[in-house]
Amino acid sequence: MYYFKVISPIRARNRVVRVEPALDFPLFCRNCEDAPCISACPEKALMRTSKGVVFVNNKKCIGHGECVKACPYYAIRIHPDTGKAFKCIQCGQCVDRCPADAIWMTTESELTERDKDGSLRALHEQHKEEIYNKEDFP
Amino acid sequence: MIHGVGGQILWINLAKGSIEKRPLDEGIIKDYLLGAGYLSRVLFDNIPVGIDPLSDRNVLGIATGLLTGSMFPQASRHVIAALSPLTDVWGESHAAGFWGAELKFAGYDAIIFTGASPSPVYLNIRDEQVELLDAESAQIWGRNVFETDEILKKKHGKRIRTLSIGQAGENLVRFAAIMNDRDRASARSGLGAVMGAKRLKAVSVRGTGKLTVADPKNYLKEIDVFHKRMMANPFTPGRIKYGTTSLVELMQHIGRLPSYNMKQGVFEGFEKISGDAINEKYLVKARADFSCLQRCGRYTAVRTGPYAYEGGAPEFETQSSMGSRCGNDNLESVLFGHHLSNQYGMDTISLGATISWAMEAWDEGLLTAEDTGGIDLSWGNHETVVKLTRMIALREGFGDILAEGSARAAQKIGRGTEKFVMAVKKQEIAGQEPRAQKSMGLAAVTAARGADHLYAFPVLDEAGFDDEIRERFGEEYLPEMADRLNPKYKGIMVKECEDFMVMVESVGLCKYGTQIPPEFFYDDISLALKIHNGLELTGKELQVIGERIVNLNRLFNGRLGVTRKDDCLPDRLTKEKAPLGPSAGEIVELDMMLDEYYTVRGWDLKTGLPLKDTLERLGLSKDA
Repeated sequence: MYYFKVISPIRARNRVVRVEPALDFPLFCRNCEDAPCISACPEKALMRTSKGVVFVNNKKCIGHGECVKACPYYAIRIHPDTGKAFKCIQCGQCVDRCPADAIWMTTESELTERDKDGSLRALHEQHKEEIYNKEDFP
Repeated sequence: MIHGVGGQILWINLAKGSIEKRPLDEGIIKDYLLGAGYLSRVLFDNIPVGIDPLSDRNVLGIATGLLTGSMFPQASRHVIAALSPLTDVWGESHAAGFWGAELKFAGYDAIIFTGASPSPVYLNIRDEQVELLDAESAQIWGRNVFETDEILKKKHGKRIRTLSIGQAGENLVRFAAIMNDRDRASARSGLGAVMGAKRLKAVSVRGTGKLTVADPKNYLKEIDVFHKRMMANPFTPGRIKYGTTSLVELMQHIGRLPSYNMKQGVFEGFEKISGDAINEKYLVKARADFSCLQRCGRYTAVRTGPYAYEGGAPEFETQSSMGSRCGNDNLESVLFGHHLSNQYGMDTISLGATISWAMEAWDEGLLTAEDTGGIDLSWGNHETVVKLTRMIALREGFGDILAEGSARAAQKIGRGTEKFVMAVKKQEIAGQEPRAQKSMGLAAVTAARGADHLYAFPVLDEAGFDDEIRERFGEEYLPEMADRLNPKYKGIMVKECEDFMVMVESVGLCKYGTQIPPEFFYDDISLALKIHNGLELTGKELQVIGERIVNLNRLFNGRLGVTRKDDCLPDRLTKEKAPLGPSAGEIVELDMMLDEYYTVRGWDLKTGLPLKDTLERLGLSKDA
């Protein structure tokens, strides 16, 4: 809603998938150091801000989807209306709006601190294949 | 143009296997909104009088509301309706989940099923592609709800949402539910049996479309205000912590916890089946549905023993129906019983109430081991409760007769067991012992679908909502209206609550947030319809729409022969004083409340049917 002014989970920069039983997981961009999306793009449309956030240059993107194939986290997709790649840009709108405070921005080291018993990571490991299933990607 | 909707209605003729897409009829929306109101009109016009609900002539409708799929708090709901095989009158049931929003994203607001398929089928929707597929070769016919969900996800993709019946619906159990998103239930009215009779196993949906909104500029700003209000409501933290489970403690406290087949409203074992008992050992997490801020859904697990499971369960209604109502304080059996009911697709209220009816008949010596095939029906026998749950779903042995519901079972067995049937219009009364809350007694008899607490959901006299009564009704109704034991003004309260609640069911919102807690009222919904759908309807106009829907539901039942004589409670509740607890000595003063109710409704005091002037005012004259 915030960016594209419609309600549509597949048009959301960051969306939550539910994996049965009982796991709700946001598909988000990790802004990987060796971001495979950046190197996969033949148009060199993917760039980084000074803070390290990966973003799509809409002028260059022609939507062939190499970045979608390259991303292991299904965090970048082709927008069905614009035909261009789009992704989470760490604007924080979803973090502010989540009534359960279930989404937050973090780093590897902060996450280790927060997830002391490793249960969050264990759940992620167990279900990652289903979470990152790209069935929506044509 | 109406925003925020799918824009099309699917008409599926199961006999012919034909699929027709019709544009959303904006004329109906103006007078009835969508959801419950839309179905009240379409089914009134399409279900012939005098048919068997389990025949191919019944029509089953599933509709989302105008706000379903929006960002309004709890905008997650859909409505299902048909002629009920349990009550033989208007049947309606609602559920939350993600299925309704997904249907909208696929581009549809409702599905109307006519006819019956010659062999088991399911409907698969992926955006504009809609197909009826063979349920037998897909190997889902005969399977439970969870298996069906898993098989269909394997076949059609992990992101689909499913709605289906389990074995109970296939076996035409008269209180079979229609389940969606695994553990969300449209439970009451036995609509699962209608799906079973139509040999329709499931509807799987994947929608990748979008909902446009009428006022994109102000949308988030207004929605954020609604969200903040919901989150700031003092009820919200408790709802997240307990869901509905802590109602056991609250109801025990006011003597409203049906126990021993509603002989009494207090249960000595209440602490063992309470919300705290669940949180202490079994709660895994609270679960929300689409756009839901209150997260009343429970996800629980019993880790070891005969009742081990993991899944979405329970609700207060189950703790009451399979617990206190059966004199059962074994919590693991209650949780597992709820899980089994989800799996087989059954209404836990009618299920527990039917078992408790049999238990009382057994206790009175009217049922013996010869009738039950050797099953011991003593109060509190938790093994029996669980065993009968399976046997009813599969219609095995003694379960076969119980699968007919308590009213039909008592009629077949006779011997005086009829007087222990705690039902209205053959549907079992839910977990509100009405002698402890008079408005609930009235609401149970006036509800269109037979005994029901949700049609009016008159909870404003339950827990100190004096301010809301002042705001919604006026100072002059206090203190009587707020007193749960005083029958005065309850006719007015139930009437107003019915108008509001059917309207809420027509826009796809939850009773939580609109009625308990009473955070959002007509003007809020009016604003939501404006920014989301672009509809200009005042609060007063919405109230009249609610009134129109209630009257049309009444006409539906009226043409099937329902009159005032059918708006009655079991003698136990109107003649025998509550024996124990905080409401001891109370009876339900039904006639007095009914007179007030019919008067404010503009219905005839003798027949209980709408008067000519009332119908004229609501534009329903041609329907009488």
